[in-house]
Amino acid sequence: MSAWLDFAMEHLPYVLEGLPTTLGLWISAMAIGAVLGLALAWARIYGNRPIYAIATVYVEIFRGTPMLVQMLFIYLGLPEIGITFDPLTAAIIAIGLNTAAYQAEYLRGAVRSVPAGQMTAARALGMGKFQAFTTIILPQALRRVIPQWSNEAILELKYTSIAYAIGVTEITARAEKIGYETFQFFEVFLLIAAIYVVMTSVVAQLLQLLEKKVAVPGL
Amino acid sequence: MLLRVENIHKSYGAVEILKGVSFEMAPGQSKVIMGPSGTGKSTLLRCVNHLSPPDQGRIFVEGEELTAKNLNTMRQKVAFVFQDFNLFTHLRTVENVAIGPRKLRGFSKSAALDLAYKELDRVGLSDRADAYPAELSGGQQQRASIARALAMEPKLILFDEPTSALDPELTGEVVSVMNKLASEGMTMLVVSHEIGFARKAADEVIFMEGGKIIEQGPPSQLFEAPQQDRTRAFLNVIEHGGDA
Repeated sequence: MSAWLDFAMEHLPYVLEGLPTTLGLWISAMAIGAVLGLALAWARIYGNRPIYAIATVYVEIFRGTPMLVQMLFIYLGLPEIGITFDPLTAAIIAIGLNTAAYQAEYLRGAVRSVPAGQMTAARALGMGKFQAFTTIILPQALRRVIPQWSNEAILELKYTSIAYAIGVTEITARAEKIGYETFQFFEVFLLIAAIYVVMTSVVAQLLQLLEKKVAVPGL
Repeated sequence: MLLRVENIHKSYGAVEILKGVSFEMAPGQSKVIMGPSGTGKSTLLRCVNHLSPPDQGRIFVEGEELTAKNLNTMRQKVAFVFQDFNLFTHLRTVENVAIGPRKLRGFSKSAALDLAYKELDRVGLSDRADAYPAELSGGQQQRASIARALAMEPKLILFDEPTSALDPELTGEVVSVMNKLASEGMTMLVVSHEIGFARKAADEVIFMEGGKIIEQGPPSQLFEAPQQDRTRAFLNVIEHGGDA
């Protein structure tokens, strides 16, 4: 145990140098996912037939293919048609587009769970459909979606590790490098696992606090 | 005329709910629509502000026809009070009342809140301003939703069975608020079986059956000397119980 602690202390700084990359990748991707997910959810609920169809095909494609395949396609496939990204940007786009599909579905479910009378009452006041959605429906749906969104956020935080496959030097890539330098794979992956557990626990706690803070009786 | 309802027809699928309904309302009038359930009363009310757009017929408010284009501005003149209140769950009572003026009438936040407190006072709910809807009783929720309607300073308020979801002991507080509004000169179109309100506050009672108006007149006439057998039978039921 103390041998492992010594190992961990020695290599932790190098691994943690990748932390800004991991967190930056995660936050950027989640933000893209939230914005795009909201648009997709709107399209799937209120969109006319073509808009609904486009959003549905998007969701099915991005939920129906592995994220690693999506990332490799963006990083290695797209350059063939002249679209080139650096590894980090490609990873952000891949994870962002992927989580958008999931976030859209969670949000769609949450919007659907808001009683229809809320929209009717907003429209009866004289709000347009979009205004009623943003001022009345969305604030309720967002509160209801927090538990599922937390799951998604934690999942994606761990998924940032697959960016290592296209050469992003986030924390998992750094751990692997240490492994090949020291041949202490057991120790180094135990270390990296511990780092992920700490990060995901903190995120889970923060989101639980948020959920409590915005809670409203009856919602 | 403040409101003109012209030959409204409405079907759901193959079932024709409204079969040509027409009436008018002058400013300050209160009318109560009564009739057996399934007869199209609530549908008619929903047609008046196009929550359910009529298949045929026209609605005029202050001479202007209600269309799909002017819907949102016209609805600000025609408020709606729902049977099941439909207060906005995530907003405190005062915010429920303030949101209309704030988002639709261009009020500043503080002006909207001032107006909201004033309207809550009018319905006797000042002390519950900071509560969420789920923390209010049914009667309080309905009074709050009336305050929300009032904050739009509408020309007309439509009430869709405002006391039907309430326990008998809670209907009184809602009816007394409605009585007060009628006496203050608010124009009100009310679907309700509250005979007490109809007798006291209504200028006219409309009796509907089978998607049509079959009798209308001042409450004294309609309740004391109904012309139609169906009206008489129905009134007998709601006043004394028994089979229609």
